[in-house]
Amino acid sequence: MAFTQFSPITERVFPALETLWAGRGYTRYRVSRFEEYDLYASNRTFITGSSILTFTDTDGRLMALKPDVTLSVIRNTAPGGALRKVYYCESVYRAPDPGSGFSEIPQAGLECLGPLTLFDVCEVITLAARSLAALSDKYILDVSHLGLLSGFLEDAGVDGALRPELLRLAGDKNSHEAASILRKAGASLPVMDTFDAMIHLRAPLEEAVGKLSALPLGEHAASALSQLARAARVLRGEDGLYLDLSLRSDERYYQGLVMRGYIPGVPTAVLSGGRYDGLMRRLHREGGAMGFAIYLNLLERLAPQPEDLDADVLVLHDGTDPEGLTRAVAALERGGLRVRVDRARPEGFRYGKLMHYAGGELK
Amino acid sequence: MSEMLNVALPKGRLGDKVYALFEKAGYGCEELADPGRRLVFESPEHGVRYFYVKPSDVAIYVERGAADIGVAGKDILLEYTPDVYELLDFGIGRCRMCVCGRPGFRDDPGRTLRVATKFTKITRDYYAGLGRSIDMIHLNGSIELAPILGLSDVIVDIVETGATLRENGLCVLSEVCGISARFIANKVSSRFKYDAVTALTARLRETIEVEK
Repeated sequence: MAFTQFSPITERVFPALETLWAGRGYTRYRVSRFEEYDLYASNRTFITGSSILTFTDTDGRLMALKPDVTLSVIRNTAPGGALRKVYYCESVYRAPDPGSGFSEIPQAGLECLGPLTLFDVCEVITLAARSLAALSDKYILDVSHLGLLSGFLEDAGVDGALRPELLRLAGDKNSHEAASILRKAGASLPVMDTFDAMIHLRAPLEEAVGKLSALPLGEHAASALSQLARAARVLRGEDGLYLDLSLRSDERYYQGLVMRGYIPGVPTAVLSGGRYDGLMRRLHREGGAMGFAIYLNLLERLAPQPEDLDADVLVLHDGTDPEGLTRAVAALERGGLRVRVDRARPEGFRYGKLMHYAGGELK
Repeated sequence: MSEMLNVALPKGRLGDKVYALFEKAGYGCEELADPGRRLVFESPEHGVRYFYVKPSDVAIYVERGAADIGVAGKDILLEYTPDVYELLDFGIGRCRMCVCGRPGFRDDPGRTLRVATKFTKITRDYYAGLGRSIDMIHLNGSIELAPILGLSDVIVDIVETGATLRENGLCVLSEVCGISARFIANKVSSRFKYDAVTALTARLRETIEVEK
């Protein structure tokens, strides 16, 4: 198991995110690293592709190292309560790939739960975009609605058994194999062309909504589009927002609007989020929910390279004149130098200049 | 010129065929005419930087963002399921992933089928789709030996011409899927270098159509 702990990059970026999120009245949510295993066992389908690390507590209860923050936030939200807006910076423990063992994954994110209005939904999207802007000058926040492609396939009468594979291929922008499946399923040429146009559509959000409106969509897809169009109108003027229907999300977790955030230099999405009203219902909470998480471990790639030297000066001494040595080191410090004092050269230690302190002098 | 596109090509015969397509699409690189011992070849005028890697590593370079785009066999994409876009089927390097065994082999559903292969995920997915219980034997090479020596009942492997199978007294029992070279792209590069990736994809698509 790999423990990353909070890295310097986390300490560097989180204050800016916290200022941004607190500026919209979101409050800090802190959780214990442990939670009763039952919470995750009974909602295992929502902990996608993960094993759970468990241990027995001193009172015999089976506990889990938290694989997910959202479940915990929902459980600690009172049923029938008012709107709740929280943010967090926590580690989760998962084995994303069965072959690579468990990892500690530091995440920062926010959740908005309860009687959501369109304003709240768009505020979450806005905060996601601005969070990316706090991480990098260049960023892209892709937004999609999971009901658009699946609704289109349903409206087009495509066999339900084929839809998961077609959605997977859409996620890879794999037109050639999608076309082959649709052809074998007897789909008409306009259906195939529209599906192809949808999975390759990529444009700023409002422009893309306009392009989608011109396509021959059926009832379900049109309904999803109208939700997206309303959000796009509210979000007008917000930078970096694009529509990309190829976004693939686990529909057991997310429904409706989903988003992914990207910054240059990191080869995968650093931000992931969306609406998870179904999870609220499953935990007997009213209203909707939307949130996002930023994977802080991925930002390590953006951290500046550690300096080549461990210290500017290595001062060796014989231990006979601590008072004089203290004064000499203070003088070096005042000159802005990093100083290591030792009796002998430390193994593997990288320094710029070697000095010896003897007879009240540094040489 | 905007940022260069990093292109990972598979070493070997397939790589040569693939580069020929890029060249025909207008993305040639003079440095490749005299490669010497260099590993990286740049064509600033076309905004591309080529490098050749082991065919099975192309998808890793692309998924991890060291290459923006690349060309990988469908067998590699199915086996390792990298999180990349698969934008085109080049239609070259065509072969088949097949179940092979001794001629006349009859699968006894009452027994667990012993299957030797390099491609464990493809094999597991294929037999899971058939609801067939198997004993998977992972081998790294000379797969054809397995049924000859009784190590396995059948093998799942790539068949190009079938010559190796015939020489070893084996034959194709069923086809799992078709294989060919695919044009893949990193999902983040495709966003930040959208215009360059889209233009290159369109040119390659046109070239493939002409070649057909």
